[in-house]
Amino acid sequence: MFQLEELIINLLLNFIAREDLNAFLRNPQHTATIVGSLIAVSGALLGTFLLLRGMSLTSDAISHTVLLGIVVAFILMGSVFGQHPDLSSVWLIVGAAVAGVATVLLTELIYRSGLVKQDAALGLAFPLLFAIAVILVSRVVSDVHLDEDAVMVGEIGVAWANTNSHCLSGCESVTITPEDPRAETTRQCTNCRALGISPRDDKAEFTQICTNCGHYSPAQAWQAGFTEQEPVLVFWPKSITVMAVLTLLTLLAILLFYKELKLSTFDPTLAAALGFRPTLLHYGLMVLVSLVAVGAFDAVGSILVVAFFIIPPAAAYLLTDRLPRMLLYSSLIGAAGAYTGYDLARGNLLGIADLSDILAALNNLFGLGLSERWDSSISASMVLMTFLFFLIAWTFSPKYGLVSTMLRRRNQRRSFDHQVVLGHIHHHQDSPAAGEELAVSTLYRHFRWTPAKMQRTLRQLRARNLVQIEAGLVSLTGQGETHAHQFRQTQLTNESVGE
Amino acid sequence: MPKPNTSNRRIWLLITATAIIAALFIPFSQLVLHVQYDYTLRTVALGGALLGIVSGVLGCFAVLRRQSLLGDALSHAALPGVAIAFLLAGRDLALLLIGAGVTSWLGVWFIRLVTGTTRIKQDAAMGIVLAAWFAAGIALLVYIQARPDASQAGLDTFIFGQAAAIIERDVRLIASVGAVSFIVLALFWKEFKLITFDPEFAGANGFRVNLLSMTLSTLIVVAIVLGLQLAGVILMVGMLIASGIAARQWTNQLGQMVILSAVFGAFAGGAGAIVSAVDADIPTGPLIVVVAFLLVALSLGFAPGRGLVWTLLRQRSDRRRFAAQTILEDLYHYALDHGRADLPAPEPFLLGVRGATAREGLRQLLARGHVQRSNGAWMLTPAGIEAATRDDRNHQLWSLYRQYADDLNLPVIAEDRQQDIADALPPESVAKLEYKLDTIRNAATNAVTKN
Repeated sequence: MFQLEELIINLLLNFIAREDLNAFLRNPQHTATIVGSLIAVSGALLGTFLLLRGMSLTSDAISHTVLLGIVVAFILMGSVFGQHPDLSSVWLIVGAAVAGVATVLLTELIYRSGLVKQDAALGLAFPLLFAIAVILVSRVVSDVHLDEDAVMVGEIGVAWANTNSHCLSGCESVTITPEDPRAETTRQCTNCRALGISPRDDKAEFTQICTNCGHYSPAQAWQAGFTEQEPVLVFWPKSITVMAVLTLLTLLAILLFYKELKLSTFDPTLAAALGFRPTLLHYGLMVLVSLVAVGAFDAVGSILVVAFFIIPPAAAYLLTDRLPRMLLYSSLIGAAGAYTGYDLARGNLLGIADLSDILAALNNLFGLGLSERWDSSISASMVLMTFLFFLIAWTFSPKYGLVSTMLRRRNQRRSFDHQVVLGHIHHHQDSPAAGEELAVSTLYRHFRWTPAKMQRTLRQLRARNLVQIEAGLVSLTGQGETHAHQFRQTQLTNESVGE
Repeated sequence: MPKPNTSNRRIWLLITATAIIAALFIPFSQLVLHVQYDYTLRTVALGGALLGIVSGVLGCFAVLRRQSLLGDALSHAALPGVAIAFLLAGRDLALLLIGAGVTSWLGVWFIRLVTGTTRIKQDAAMGIVLAAWFAAGIALLVYIQARPDASQAGLDTFIFGQAAAIIERDVRLIASVGAVSFIVLALFWKEFKLITFDPEFAGANGFRVNLLSMTLSTLIVVAIVLGLQLAGVILMVGMLIASGIAARQWTNQLGQMVILSAVFGAFAGGAGAIVSAVDADIPTGPLIVVVAFLLVALSLGFAPGRGLVWTLLRQRSDRRRFAAQTILEDLYHYALDHGRADLPAPEPFLLGVRGATAREGLRQLLARGHVQRSNGAWMLTPAGIEAATRDDRNHQLWSLYRQYADDLNLPVIAEDRQQDIADALPPESVAKLEYKLDTIRNAATNAVTKN
């Protein structure tokens, strides 16, 4: 990881000055947006396949149970190596991946027993694993930074602060030993605890110990005042590297196995028959989902990451019928949600509205006494923006949106009305009863319509130049005649085809 | 029908036994776990048990309608309601629960709307509600927690549940709301049963399926909302469905399942609440889920007729029972194919074809005196030939039954070739089949002799 970061930094420094890079990364908004977008993109890519396979809620289950993997790995590391790893250790990621696959296996085991339906099997497996994880968190590792809030919300807002420092020059790392002149020694009472003697007691024995022994990185050495020359440093947030690697891994896996994934998603039986091993792909996908879930865990928490797996693909699903476009759109929607979500957390809704103003208006209207400063969870706000984009896609999608569906239905209804009226006129035009059947004033009765609807339909038909009104009677124009005739022809064809 | 009655009695015995064990948990916790039953703990345990009953009863319907995960989505969807109610009205449990119910119910409505107007399937729609509503709840909670005053303390216990927060007023609230939902359930029992098992039939008979299923979903929302304080939004799904799944293993009747599920729920809720009261560090929700899952594991393993242990035993005894019959048949056909019925068949042949079954079958046949050894081969004794002939004839009669049951106007019965057909059919039908068999055989012999 460290070498990788150096490589990226050296690459970036060709284009941007070091001070600017540091300033850029030290801005919480930039780092949070980058990390959030990476999570959103990798989640959206994998979520697209999950959605198409009807497995969206598996991501929910997995993102809950990675906590168990993390906790178990944490405890094991503690008892084997005697020290607990920090939250971005590779072992925790491995533990989480194992837990993710274990969830899927446990679900299938319960389901295969034939005694429990599939949804119920999932609903049994993940609460159990999550419950065990929570009990372990509260009993065994209660003294570390792995509390329940971090489980759910994460701290993407402070992602910028958790950095690796990379040194470019003046890199003097310092090791302080007790003999070093810079070592600060202090006297400490060695027996006051054992004998119950206070350090002020004259029987207390003192030894010299060094309080600042150890290895200092260049940055720490400069801060502690051990080096004269200030090192030239780049501070690189760890979350960016983790999520970038995971996103690349996801992209690579999808590019490499695109054909196989596509086939096993849309036609698993054919995929199996052709020897593509859909089961293997299935578990590979589950491992990737677990990896992204655990990588995102630190930043957005285990529950909100579900949103990035489900909402962007669902929105993209409403916008297109093609898999490559769906992958692209869902990534874009996820990234856009992450980008605009940071502003929402500070109260700025897409630059259109300011939540503080809305809160103030609510206070004025109802006298609620709400705090007028909106400052909220960044990761939750990112999810809410993504959801807003889903709502927009749902409303305005050209093919499946509410508006276009409504318009299409109205057009269908209208063209049906037109056909019915044209047919009626065509049928009665030269019959003896024409005078009664085709009178404009009473025409609506024959269809049991309201007069207003009849008037509207006639107006539209006249505008299309299909009917004319002479002396209170409607009749077809030449064009209308052709139209009605054609319609009759297609109807006959359809009927004969139907038979 | 005598058989259902005995199984009925067994279920009622089981329900009583579980109830007694659940009640015995109180002295057990006093003596073994050294739990002191003070006023607070009594309240908490009672609350837990009541919630277990409510969610157990209503959870049955979620399980049977394949909507287990709806419980998960809806419990997450309750969080923003809690936060909004708190912002508007302060920390009054009844109002917080009403808020939770409203947003949760909006979640139900949203799921129906999305699945009704688009091609997004139910699971994804539930995922959207789960994530978006929960995010709204978290955003509001963080906003509330940023306030300077400390009155929001304890609001996040809704996320994981904390039994210690339950007071007597809450227990009364749970009891009365639960009673109301049970009355609704009792009033519409027949309708709910119908839309659960056969919604198409219900719709065809003029029941308003949409309205009824919305009502049922509303009742499930009520159960979820009541359980939030104890189990928390994340694990509520476990509490809702686990006791229903456990109860499903023991019975095939809805009424019994609901009652058994209520007892299981009371046990899980009460025991979980008591244990978590012993150590306040452990949130209640996870403990209840673990207890409930133990009940599920027990039921999956040991439920009579369905349980895994039961199935394994039955498979083993079936294998044994059929081993003798299979080998007898093998020997008989081998011998007949090679000329005469008492011809010995070599042992490697039998073992090679049937493996371990052959060894088991030969052992049983030897004990019955149907086979004997001769030079590393096995041959049928006269008694064995008689048994094999009888079996063979029985099989042929069954085959004829399958082929000619309609032509011969025979009564319709389930085909079971292990059974003697004379026990399954009335004598005159068997006589018809035997006559048919003899005609066919004679025809075959005649054809052979003519040629």
